[in-house]
Amino acid sequence: MVLYKHEMKLNFKSLLIWTLCVGVLCFGCILLYTSLEESMEGIADSFSNMGAMSTAFGMDKMSLATLKGYYATEIALMHGLGGAMFAAILGSSLLSKEEAGHTSEFLNVLPIGRGSVVFAKYLALISNIVIFNLACVALYLLGFICMGETIAAGEMTLYHLAVSLMQIEIGTICFMISAFVRRNLIGAGLGIAVIMFAIDMMCRIIPAIENLKYITPFYYSNASDIFTNGKLDGTMLLISVGITIVSFVIALLWYQKKDLAS
Amino acid sequence: MEKQKYAISIQNLTKRYGKYRGVSDLSLNVEAGDIFGFLGPNGAGKSTTIRSLLGLIKFQKGNAQILGMDVKSRQKDILKEIGYMPSEAMFYPTMRVKDVIRLAADMRGVDCGKEADMLCERLNVDRNKKIEELSLGNRKKVSIVCAMQHKPKLFIFDEPTSGLDPLMQAEFFQLIMEYNAQGATCFLSSHVLSEIKKYCRHAAIIKEGKLLCVDTVENLTKTSTKRIRMTKDGVEEDFVYKGDLNELFAGFAGHNIEDIVIEEPELDEIFMHYYKED
Repeated sequence: MVLYKHEMKLNFKSLLIWTLCVGVLCFGCILLYTSLEESMEGIADSFSNMGAMSTAFGMDKMSLATLKGYYATEIALMHGLGGAMFAAILGSSLLSKEEAGHTSEFLNVLPIGRGSVVFAKYLALISNIVIFNLACVALYLLGFICMGETIAAGEMTLYHLAVSLMQIEIGTICFMISAFVRRNLIGAGLGIAVIMFAIDMMCRIIPAIENLKYITPFYYSNASDIFTNGKLDGTMLLISVGITIVSFVIALLWYQKKDLAS
Repeated sequence: MEKQKYAISIQNLTKRYGKYRGVSDLSLNVEAGDIFGFLGPNGAGKSTTIRSLLGLIKFQKGNAQILGMDVKSRQKDILKEIGYMPSEAMFYPTMRVKDVIRLAADMRGVDCGKEADMLCERLNVDRNKKIEELSLGNRKKVSIVCAMQHKPKLFIFDEPTSGLDPLMQAEFFQLIMEYNAQGATCFLSSHVLSEIKKYCRHAAIIKEGKLLCVDTVENLTKTSTKRIRMTKDGVEEDFVYKGDLNELFAGFAGHNIEDIVIEEPELDEIFMHYYKED
């Protein structure tokens, strides 16, 4: 618990910055919708008829002419990608930063055990992702209220649950990587987030690789799908939770038996 | 707990890093209440041995017990009783010194504010500074406080004095002596021979991952070898002599000896002697 608090404190600044960047940016974009609205009506049709481009961004399903549609395509895109990058950066350095910063000899000679170290740090990762999402959602709701729009509570809840799970999966995969390495592979973490995002867009356009949708958590957390269907894909959620658990267990087991660098 | 004869007991410890040698077949006992020096140049395996004992790295062969507890199965219990100071004293750069010291105590679940106050006072630690503002020597002092504040039964120091100024080194050893008088054992690695000679009772010499010898510091320095400094016929000479002293003096006949000092060789000369053999 002491380590958990310590970890939360160390990550507080980064959490604040990311929440402000992503949350305030999206909040601002929601407020901007008023000025976009009129012109949007004109271009919404052309946006939804751009073929593959529209499919990739979900603009074939949702119209940009409503705030809801705008939210599900544009805002959700920024929130999803921003959140995934935050989770990736945080996850990919949580364990490895001790060795990279030469603090592993300080931390691991304290009588807490490496298993507890992994648990405390992982709990901090999950907490950071949850706080990030709650704070962002609060800002978005505020945005909707400022715009005087009704909030699609059901879809919003489902989407933000899904997108949080997506971030947790990406964060956990990066967390696992950080258990193996001795340097902070932030680049690799960001790479995973962006590749997963790219796979999602590709498999929506190219039928031959459609099954890749089971790999990328961006697919099931796609806002335009969720706002259109009003439900989540159970199989994909299960796969995602499975990958998350397996990644965590591998991180836990490996970190306990590895030789720590000084 | 039952009083143990040995604070540290190592049997046939072997640790390899892939192809590289770490430590091979090392056996060593450190008696409870001792101040034990672990000597060797950089890369000899001192840190590998220490890090194996602390469970930071996993060794392939052999066994080790600390305070009678097996290092593989009772790591957490052992760490409660140990104060360890790594050679590289690094902490979280953005934290303040007092928070680091508090963190170490809190993670141990003990309140050692009073002891920490005393240590900070004596070592002259500025507790309001941030870690990133500190020099190596000052980080070392923080490391000493973290290793000592919970009054452990066993101290393990990996090259403790590097970066410390002579006054702080003296204060550091003074603290060790005080804790030692209260029953604590101290195991310190070093390549500075003079401090081992001055403060340790027993010492071991390690070379290329193998233990060369273990003995009292007194015995290690007491040999038939003598160091001789003299001024003969106006010429200053300084050499190490091994053999019959009578023969040496016989050789002086007919020379003008203005000054002569015959003394035990320094530990480093013995050290070099062990290292040159082969």
